[in-house]
Amino acid sequence: MALAVLTDVVKRYDGKLTVDHLNVSIQEGEIFGLLGPNGAGKSTTISMLCGLLPIDSGSIEVDGISVAANPIEVKRRIGLVPQDLALYDVMTAAENVTFFGKLYGLRGKLLKERVEEALAFTGLSDRAKDKPSSFSGGMKRRLNIACAIMHRPRLIIMDEPTVGIDPQSRNHILESVKKLNQLGSTVIYTSHYMEEVAAICDRVAIMDKGHIIACGTEKELRERVAREEKIVIKASNINPGLIQELGLHPRINRVEVREDVVEIYLPSSQGELQDILFIFAKHEGIIASLHVDEPNLETLFLSLTGRSLRD
Amino acid sequence: MNTWTIMTYELRRLFRSRSLLLNQFLLPLLLIFLLGTSLSGVVGNQSNQTIHSVRVGVVNLPTKNTSESALVADFLATPELQDIIIPISLPSREAAESGLRAGKYGYAVIVPPGFDQKVQNGEQAQLEFILGKDHTNNLVAGTVFDNFVDHINDIQAAASILGPESLAAFTPSNEDTLSPLKLGELGEDGGSYSATQFYAVSMLLMFLLYCGLTVNISLFNEKEEHTLFRLNSMPVKGSQLFIGKMLGVGTVSIVQCSAIILLSHWLYGVYWGNRPVLLILFCLLMIIASMTLSIVVSMFFKSGASARSVITVLTVCMTFLSGGMAPLPESWVNTVGPFTINHWMMQAILGMMLHVDVSKIMPNLLAMALICVVLFGAALSSYRKVGYHA
Repeated sequence: MALAVLTDVVKRYDGKLTVDHLNVSIQEGEIFGLLGPNGAGKSTTISMLCGLLPIDSGSIEVDGISVAANPIEVKRRIGLVPQDLALYDVMTAAENVTFFGKLYGLRGKLLKERVEEALAFTGLSDRAKDKPSSFSGGMKRRLNIACAIMHRPRLIIMDEPTVGIDPQSRNHILESVKKLNQLGSTVIYTSHYMEEVAAICDRVAIMDKGHIIACGTEKELRERVAREEKIVIKASNINPGLIQELGLHPRINRVEVREDVVEIYLPSSQGELQDILFIFAKHEGIIASLHVDEPNLETLFLSLTGRSLRD
Repeated sequence: MNTWTIMTYELRRLFRSRSLLLNQFLLPLLLIFLLGTSLSGVVGNQSNQTIHSVRVGVVNLPTKNTSESALVADFLATPELQDIIIPISLPSREAAESGLRAGKYGYAVIVPPGFDQKVQNGEQAQLEFILGKDHTNNLVAGTVFDNFVDHINDIQAAASILGPESLAAFTPSNEDTLSPLKLGELGEDGGSYSATQFYAVSMLLMFLLYCGLTVNISLFNEKEEHTLFRLNSMPVKGSQLFIGKMLGVGTVSIVQCSAIILLSHWLYGVYWGNRPVLLILFCLLMIIASMTLSIVVSMFFKSGASARSVITVLTVCMTFLSGGMAPLPESWVNTVGPFTINHWMMQAILGMMLHVDVSKIMPNLLAMALICVVLFGAALSSYRKVGYHA
């Protein structure tokens, strides 16, 4: 069952198309990744989904409720973790969570329980009475999440929640996302870090210039990339005889040489590595390192747009 | 409920801000004290000062050929002078000097021999005054004897021109008791305001205008700290958010206003007039005017710093043009002042301090109410046009 459905959504800024006839539906209970470079339209899409920006045309529904017609009801079902830290530095961590909890309509004992639960979930229970100004970047990010989940929303939207933090805090946040999903929340996770999205998301949509250029599971997306692997060999004594014999191999599509690196493109590296190593030995090419590049979301984006995700 | 939550948390945040406490509460009290004490000669007048009687050594002795000066003796015997100076007859100039040095006398007068005769003949006559150590005593006794010297000059002039017969005209009669001068007072009940009162009003108004800065800071901090983005994503109506924040700032301004009025009264004895209800009403109108003005300015600036600059300039200019920083020429205040919010408030509160009739204050109340209505309308339409969102 689809929890959020975006149909033919269009958004323009100063006449420029930022979101271009976007169609996507997010299924209940999944972690949905929205991947794309900066300026792809991810944050604009998120803002429209949360009712923060009006859409120019199309429709957005969350839990069957139109965002345009009843934004307050939609907002009750959503917990947004903004890209920028949105915390009050003069209030303690517990006061921050309590304030936002009250605005979600929580009161009394229930509010107290949920605040404690959110702080415990993000590993901040022992810092509840401290102000965010004394927190590390990772702790602030975790508090940013706590403020968005204390009302147990059905849909949690995380807009690049790991920007600028250390690997340890990043892992903690990624684990938290998985846990929230196991507890029943549907999660939309936007990032331009391919590894993060690949690690936690059930389905991924790749956005570029306001379009979704690919959407599916990671496996499905990988299969869409040209069925070609790349073997990268760093070696010395690269001679014309070596390159010629590699090029004549029936399973090798093409060979490219860049200084002391040989890139060999072939349908599959399995079974061919021994032949390649033999050719190198025969022509006295001395191998320093070797690795096989498998297709991933980065390669997919590159193959679809001709640009890198982090350009 | 959301409005109440937003207001209470706004208050919590504002009262935790050290800069707010310093700027809004301590600074006005400090300025009232500093300006009130240092500029007491420029504005209003201070309370009456008690003058203690000055002991004046008088050397007025008869000689072989002349008697003592009757003019001086009669003058010193005048009943009105008894509370001001205490004349003490001395045998010589040396005794007077020695007494002055020892502090026994505050002032000394040496009457030369034949003083009365010289005066009555229109000849040159010279009294000698020797000043003591205390400035106030010298001022008091000097003023008394300057008065006497003026009288002597009149006699000499009349005698030299009209002859000795004219001296009879200087004998006081009952018909001359009506003084040609009357000392006027500013207030209808006979009071006038002091410099501390004047600057207390001026600073109160300036800092109530500055509460517009708190509005600005409150609105822009939410934007700059990205909390507005989160608030907008929550089930809170834009109007609830805006009204909650304004109620929070308004409450701080009311507390600030009460603190300035009460603390200036208790600490510096500032008398705020005889109409507390009207005073409260005027202060509320001033807070509304200041906040709505700031909302209008804040809505049309993208950067908080730019909006703050405009509000500060407006506040300082209005305080100056209304005559709140230093008394301006009346023509200035009357022509430029009415275009400032402070003017109507200042004149009204000063009027209340001087116990003027309420009918003279009502036009100011109406003017303030009108200003508030206009600014409220402008704030409402600018909010509808621009909105408050990240």
